[in-house]
Amino acid sequence: MGSSAAHQLKQLKPLYQHVVNNFVAVLAAPLAVAAVVNAARVGPDELIGRLQALRAVHVFLAVFVAAAAATLYVMLRPRSVYLVDYACFRTRPNCRVPFATFLEHAKLVTFVEGASIDERSVRFMTRLLERSGLGEETCLPPAHHYIPPYRNMEASRAEVELVIFSAIDDLLAKTGISPNAIDVLVVNCSLFAPIPSFTDMIIHRYGMRPDIRNVHLSGMGCSAGLISVGLAKNFLQVAPKGAHALVVSTETITPNYYVGKERAMLLPNCLFRIGGAAVLLSTSRARARFRLARVVRTLTGAQDSAYRCVFQEEDGEGHRGINLSKDLMTIAGDALKANITAIGPLVLPASEQLLFALSFIARRVLNRHVKPYLPDFRTAFEHFCIHAGGRAVIDELQRSLGLSDQDVEASRMALHRFGNTSSSSVWYELAYIEAKGRMRRGDRVWMIGFGSGFKCNSAAWECIAPACTAEGPWAESISRYPVDIPEVLKH
Amino acid sequence: MVFEQEQEEVTPGAVHGYRLSTVVPSSVTGEVDYALADADLAFKLHYLRGVYYYPPGDVARGLATKVLKDPMFPWLDDYFPVAGRVRRAEKDAEAAADGAPRRPYIKCNDCGVRIVEAKCDRDMDEWLRDDAPDRLRQLCYDKVLGPELFFSPLLYVQITNFKCGGLALGFSWAHLIGDVPSAVTCFNKWAQILSGKKPEATVLTPLNKPLQGQSPAAAPRSVKQVGPIEDHWLVPAGRDMACYSFHVSETVLKKLQQQQGRHAAAAGTFELVSALVWQTVAKIRGGDVDTVTVVRTGAAARSGKSLANEMTVGYVASAGSSPAKTDVAELAALLTKNVVDETAAVAAFQGDVLVYGGANLTLVDMEQVDVYALEIKGLRPVHVEYGMDGVGEEGAVLVQPDADGRGRLVTAVLPRDEIDSLRAALGSALQVA
Repeated sequence: MGSSAAHQLKQLKPLYQHVVNNFVAVLAAPLAVAAVVNAARVGPDELIGRLQALRAVHVFLAVFVAAAAATLYVMLRPRSVYLVDYACFRTRPNCRVPFATFLEHAKLVTFVEGASIDERSVRFMTRLLERSGLGEETCLPPAHHYIPPYRNMEASRAEVELVIFSAIDDLLAKTGISPNAIDVLVVNCSLFAPIPSFTDMIIHRYGMRPDIRNVHLSGMGCSAGLISVGLAKNFLQVAPKGAHALVVSTETITPNYYVGKERAMLLPNCLFRIGGAAVLLSTSRARARFRLARVVRTLTGAQDSAYRCVFQEEDGEGHRGINLSKDLMTIAGDALKANITAIGPLVLPASEQLLFALSFIARRVLNRHVKPYLPDFRTAFEHFCIHAGGRAVIDELQRSLGLSDQDVEASRMALHRFGNTSSSSVWYELAYIEAKGRMRRGDRVWMIGFGSGFKCNSAAWECIAPACTAEGPWAESISRYPVDIPEVLKH
Repeated sequence: MVFEQEQEEVTPGAVHGYRLSTVVPSSVTGEVDYALADADLAFKLHYLRGVYYYPPGDVARGLATKVLKDPMFPWLDDYFPVAGRVRRAEKDAEAAADGAPRRPYIKCNDCGVRIVEAKCDRDMDEWLRDDAPDRLRQLCYDKVLGPELFFSPLLYVQITNFKCGGLALGFSWAHLIGDVPSAVTCFNKWAQILSGKKPEATVLTPLNKPLQGQSPAAAPRSVKQVGPIEDHWLVPAGRDMACYSFHVSETVLKKLQQQQGRHAAAAGTFELVSALVWQTVAKIRGGDVDTVTVVRTGAAARSGKSLANEMTVGYVASAGSSPAKTDVAELAALLTKNVVDETAAVAAFQGDVLVYGGANLTLVDMEQVDVYALEIKGLRPVHVEYGMDGVGEEGAVLVQPDADGRGRLVTAVLPRDEIDSLRAALGSALQVA
């Protein structure tokens, strides 16, 4: 009985969605019919008589008020921001680090003076790597190919220059824009903030204008890419129309190799890999490929547990690293709920919102064990780019959002091919979807980023034009994907 | 990148400032295992050490480490077993009941090749003129396989920069993975990729089946049984061994050829030069060098595999008289005609053996190996010397062509206290008459 009722409900659902989502039309249709019927009954002569009785002033006022209201609405509405194009750093084979090499290096570092990493740590890292969901093609910066790895400023700057200059070069070539035309420059990199900043490095290298608005965001975690996009959007909306903003997201791995033995701090060594992305935004729709619909930022840092969840500190022996707390998954889940609650009303169709509201009321009023209704975000988005923080994060989000394996495929494959590239991972995932040819005009994309703080940020995009070339970070490897990633990769 | 470990004591003129890094194949090899042939396992206790010297100048100055490393990634795609690591086969039901160590193989896990960067505060010319014994060891990273086989690279490449701008490339190659011609061809291919040429395809046979034949009961006469070897693949010689290289000029070769007289059965240059060294070593040791092991390239017998141990191993016994008193010409004739070939027996023998310097003084023929072909961006090496590590007390002698191909360069791997005597004894023989 129960299952057939559920089955009937499922069949009714599309009808329900049509009715609720097109509510205005559903209401207006009978009204229009009634009006036409009424007019027909009254007769055409009577109608013309009534029209002539109207005073010109009233007509003029009616039209003028309506036009004025419409114009004010259009003018005061914030300008739309568009994505002209984006380019991800294309990893080179000479930066490749297979598992065996990574573990051998970790083992050899145990013999280096000043490092505390020991045999147990190496075994722990082996188990982590086997279950991490990373593949054998992920890349580390050249400084990390040394034993022990270089972690000094010169090597860090070399990595930065390698990543962001090549990504920006690709982007400038793709869009054909000159560096002089860039009005806003926002760069985010959490863990390395030299003086002068990355933005100054870029301005110096590309010879940008002296009045460019530049900001470097550091310490904002793995979701900083979306924060940068949000900030650039704010800049663009007050800049003259047609302004361009360059957003660069990256993470510098070089200074952050942890040589201690705290387990919670060894995880970033295993997961973080080199990567970066450059994105060009504009308020001009010419040559735009995506429209930025929403940026929603939520922070849960007011709570202690969320604040200390991802914490950079020195361990007992003075080695600096990033400490990941054991409740990372729970906190991520809570942050996600907060973000969904904020973004849901803005993107979900009315049908889903109504169901969610009804279930919410039912739980409050009836107080029976009514399961909270999980809104189906697949009605709001066609593609999902979930930050590839780790296998567990992706699995947890898939469960929380009720997504299918195909929905999270981009995230899993980006994790396998590139590792956790921090704030730029959502861009690698978007590149995967486009490389696979799955992006169509009108498709909506949801980018979700998580990061220290604990923050959960979302960006919603709508596709105007899919990519026309196959160039990008996936060009050589896309034919091998998707791959089946085993639970444990023994080697 | 600058990184100085200031705490190390630097003896003036020594090579210092070692920085290690790793180079891996550029594409994923996958789950491939390279089975080692019996012939490979016979040579597992030996390590080839080759140094190439490049003169200072514009070309050498333009050779940053990155320029040398970048071609290695595609090079290792072709030679992926060299980037692997030694593992032992899993225990299985048919394992030998005598508890012998399980058969080693190479797991092609892309772990990579170790690159060592070092500096020397002397001029290269000075270094070469000095003729110090065992200078090879400073320019080739002298590690071996083990004690942790899991983490031991099969190849080390050391890049040493001299004060004058000269460059030395030192290769430390585990003999297990291939013999001298295989190694030299492998290095030459890297240089070809560096110069932008497309090298010939490599022929690799990952499935080398163990020979099914009967193992001889005792070790063949050419080799010496040692061990059993566990996981540290080096047999420490009772005495400290050192490599010493000397040049045999064209004039001396001609003189040796003329002295053949009635033995004009045209002994080749290898036979003549090694006969000379055999006689000298016999004199130094006062006899007891009646048998020598001869290892030859044997180009005709090669199967065309890019990585294989296919050198012929045999022995020669001097008939009756002591070699110290025999003519060089007669010894050369013995080396030409009386070699007893034991290649198959050596491969079939199941125990651990020392081929070079194990049972007898070992003479190694590198005549047909084109070592001077390792041109880096058109720059030919001015000097190349090949030595060996893991050599037993009896010693080894490697004979290779010299820079212009007309003379020969000989590297003797002998106990350190014999080197001076050898120098003295050879001094007169190598003078131009």
